[in-house]
Amino acid sequence: MGIHVSVRNATLGATLKMDIAPNETVYDIIESAAEFWKKDPKAYVLRKGKSLLTATDTMMEANIMNGDVLELLPDPEGG
Amino acid sequence: MISAKEYDKDRFDRSKRIEWIDMDGIRNARCFVAGAGALGNEVMKCLVLSGFRDITVTDTDHVVLSNLNRCVFFKDGDVENGMKSDILAERASELDRDVRITARHDKVQDIGDWNEFDVILGCLDNISARLHVNAHAYYRDIPYIDGGTDGMMGKVQVVLPNGPCLRCAMNRTHYDVLVTRFSCTGKASAFYIPKNAAEITTTSTVAAMQVREAMKIASGCEGMCIRDMAYYNGISGETTILNIKKDNMCENHMGE
Ligand SMILES: [Zn+2]
Repeated sequence: MGIHVSVRNATLGATLKMDIAPNETVYDIIESAAEFWKKDPKAYVLRKGKSLLTATDTMMEANIMNGDVLELLPDPEGG
Repeated sequence: MISAKEYDKDRFDRSKRIEWIDMDGIRNARCFVAGAGALGNEVMKCLVLSGFRDITVTDTDHVVLSNLNRCVFFKDGDVENGMKSDILAERASELDRDVRITARHDKVQDIGDWNEFDVILGCLDNISARLHVNAHAYYRDIPYIDGGTDGMMGKVQVVLPNGPCLRCAMNRTHYDVLVTRFSCTGKASAFYIPKNAAEITTTSTVAAMQVREAMKIASGCEGMCIRDMAYYNGISGETTILNIKKDNMCENHMGE
């Protein structure tokens, strides 16, 4: 039984619904979302509310639950 | 002729009216600015006007024409005609003759005297250089304030001793970019400039936030610092504070 989440693209404003296995990691979501939106090779991070999620955490470790809305953010590299 | 009132004879009178600001702490703090591009220009402006007096800046690049839309201290005549750090140091010194700005042309990988600095402001344009500064700063317990911009998006991450570091917030997409940059240039250049969208309003906002964090640190108010990242969306105007967990897999925290 997967965990249903919505991932919002901070740049486009679009939202993607995803079904994630409990043992998958935050990085798996970042990778899938970036692939779905065919993003440029950029660095991305994922946030849930006020927390920037640790990429290596599983869904349980990151406290991601059914119905959560996550946001994919480009990590600004320029100076 | 009217004479200026006493409080108008002190350059920092208005700053001193902010209770938590410690002008002595700011004056004595030894700042290192890594990068003299767009963020470096704005950070330098704010540092000098805020009363910082001991600043070192490094950059390996010359001024190019495309810098001029967002670098307040560079002019047309500087294009291909001078090192960014030299020009920045010279022009910023004109804001206040009491400031001492040392310009260097070193890559951050070649910096050896990290212990000479009390606070580091990252104004870099690539992940490789950020990770390098992050590791040295964290190892030596030097607060590191990293800024980054991407078009209308920006971020400021404050790395304090024993807190999460830059690497804790990264993932494989960062390393993929790092590898791409490396293969584009054929060398791990510290100041390789990707052709990202960049404009002054985002740069200026991010740089101002970076310097405000430096002011807090120099004033002994680390407890007031951003924990851990401020993410700025220039379209909506929102700034979101994001907490970052220390990543057990991060090599900077092994053995802690
Ligand atoms: Zn770390």
